[in-house]
Amino acid sequence: MRPAARLETLEHWMQAVVMHPEGADAGVKARAARTLLAEAARDPGSIVLPSKTLTSLERLGIYAHMYYARLIEVMEGEYPTTRQLLGEHDFAAACRRFIAKHPSRTRTLNSLSQQFPAFLAKTLPRTGRNRFAADVARIERAMEDVFDAPRTVPMTAAQYAEIGARDWNRLTLRVTPALVLLKLRYPANAYMTALRRGEKPRLPKPRTTHVIVFRRGYQVFRRDQEPEQWKLLESLVAGKPLGVAVRASIRGRGASADRVAKRLGKWFEEWAGAHLFVHGDVHLESR
Amino acid sequence: MSRPTIDSTSARVPNCWGLPDLGLGVGLRTQHFRHITEKWPEMDWFEIVSENFIDTEGRPLYFLDQIAERYPIAMHGVCLSVGSTDPIDFAFLDKLKALSRRVKAKWLGDHICWTGVNGLNGHDLYPVPYTEEGLRHMVSRVKIIQDYLEQPLVLENPSTYLTFRASSMPEEEFIARLAAEAECALLLDVNNVYVTCRNHDLDPAAYIDRIPAEHVVQIHLAGHTDNGTHCIDTHDGRVIDEVWQLYARFHDRAGGRATLLEWDAKIPKFSVLQQEVRKAARFRNGARKAAA
Repeated sequence: MRPAARLETLEHWMQAVVMHPEGADAGVKARAARTLLAEAARDPGSIVLPSKTLTSLERLGIYAHMYYARLIEVMEGEYPTTRQLLGEHDFAAACRRFIAKHPSRTRTLNSLSQQFPAFLAKTLPRTGRNRFAADVARIERAMEDVFDAPRTVPMTAAQYAEIGARDWNRLTLRVTPALVLLKLRYPANAYMTALRRGEKPRLPKPRTTHVIVFRRGYQVFRRDQEPEQWKLLESLVAGKPLGVAVRASIRGRGASADRVAKRLGKWFEEWAGAHLFVHGDVHLESR
Repeated sequence: MSRPTIDSTSARVPNCWGLPDLGLGVGLRTQHFRHITEKWPEMDWFEIVSENFIDTEGRPLYFLDQIAERYPIAMHGVCLSVGSTDPIDFAFLDKLKALSRRVKAKWLGDHICWTGVNGLNGHDLYPVPYTEEGLRHMVSRVKIIQDYLEQPLVLENPSTYLTFRASSMPEEEFIARLAAEAECALLLDVNNVYVTCRNHDLDPAAYIDRIPAEHVVQIHLAGHTDNGTHCIDTHDGRVIDEVWQLYARFHDRAGGRATLLEWDAKIPKFSVLQQEVRKAARFRNGARKAAA
């Protein structure tokens, strides 16, 4: 089915106009729209009729305004703490620039702002506040991602009990897809928790932190992890057998084999309680 | 509070597909999930925004599964983009089909509009030019989509804020011809008729009278924002009296149709929605005439 040219041109023109970040006025004059309908740049009324109360441009402007307003409203819901940190005006301006550069290409809005934390980190002036806000945005984005992630059934106590003491080393566990691991420049999770408790925390100084964001049942959680703990979990997510993952966790600056040995049981207890491991056949690496 | 009863056998002009009059329903919104699944309140049916339950396996779907066990569900989307000149997105149709089966949807619909081209999505309902060319294009797409989904599409008249100079027929004629030629069903949004007619200085009663009743299977009611120079379809308040009168006018001609109240911003308590949608029962049972 070949669409008729006139309709196709009109749709591409209107989209170019209403998605222009500076509004419909700039949109009709911009190259993208002019190359499609040159006459409309001089006289928008040649394409869109005025009403008794609004000019042609004002009528297009309704759609142009709603395009950004609607998507910014969605992002306000997704990034409440980032918004609070940047302030309403700067946040909205950042969203507008982001939407202009990364317009939605999907039918749902779930993934609209997937690149927003990276965009903030790359485009905001490099101040402490902005770097911290980009970290907070990573956590808020992760919360959206795990919210929508596929459902899984967690491993049962009986399944853990079935694993022989000698087999743990060779064990490969399936990790829930509703889990995101984040290595951050700032203690952003602690800051968000303090805000949630109604405290008024000060902007923290940079300090590397390790955070997991996960869904248990239908509730989303975020939790700080010890560096070795986070690294071990990262290896398990990558499908490494437990023995390999443990060895990987004690490599690197400041890592301690003693600490891992002492804490391993507690970490597993925490992860099992968080339903991070998925029910199913546990796989043992061949010797 | 006693609930007005609805005479659901009163369809004077039955719809072409024999689709049922579901009674009075409201749009299912996340703010009410917990209330609904704890209280199981009195409500004839719910309408869902299809896209809110696609590409997610989180909490919304968990609640929807429970609600669909107890209430009839109709699916109403915002991104099918039947008027777009982009290729049809069959992967998206597969997802709609799967969701429809999952919730045993009574029907599935969207809007007479386009939402994006060139692979982009504006997440808004953009008007098409009401031309012969636009009509041919949309008829052909609706037929393909209906064949693929194996059910009639229920398409809604959108609120529009501009008119293309190229348009050669009134919106209601375009809709009537689309329904007849594509053999699709219609969702008559009475509030959208009012908003559109205010924005284009048209007579909403004449618009309503030209909609082919035999194609209409569902009605939408909602509130809007009147900015003086134009109205915006904001779904953020009660239905105004003029819209109730248009609803009664259509009901007088067509008889009972599944009726749904949309309230999507400044969302009130569920009991307020119940109270508002129950007003429809009075109009369906001839209260308008009594009041007059």
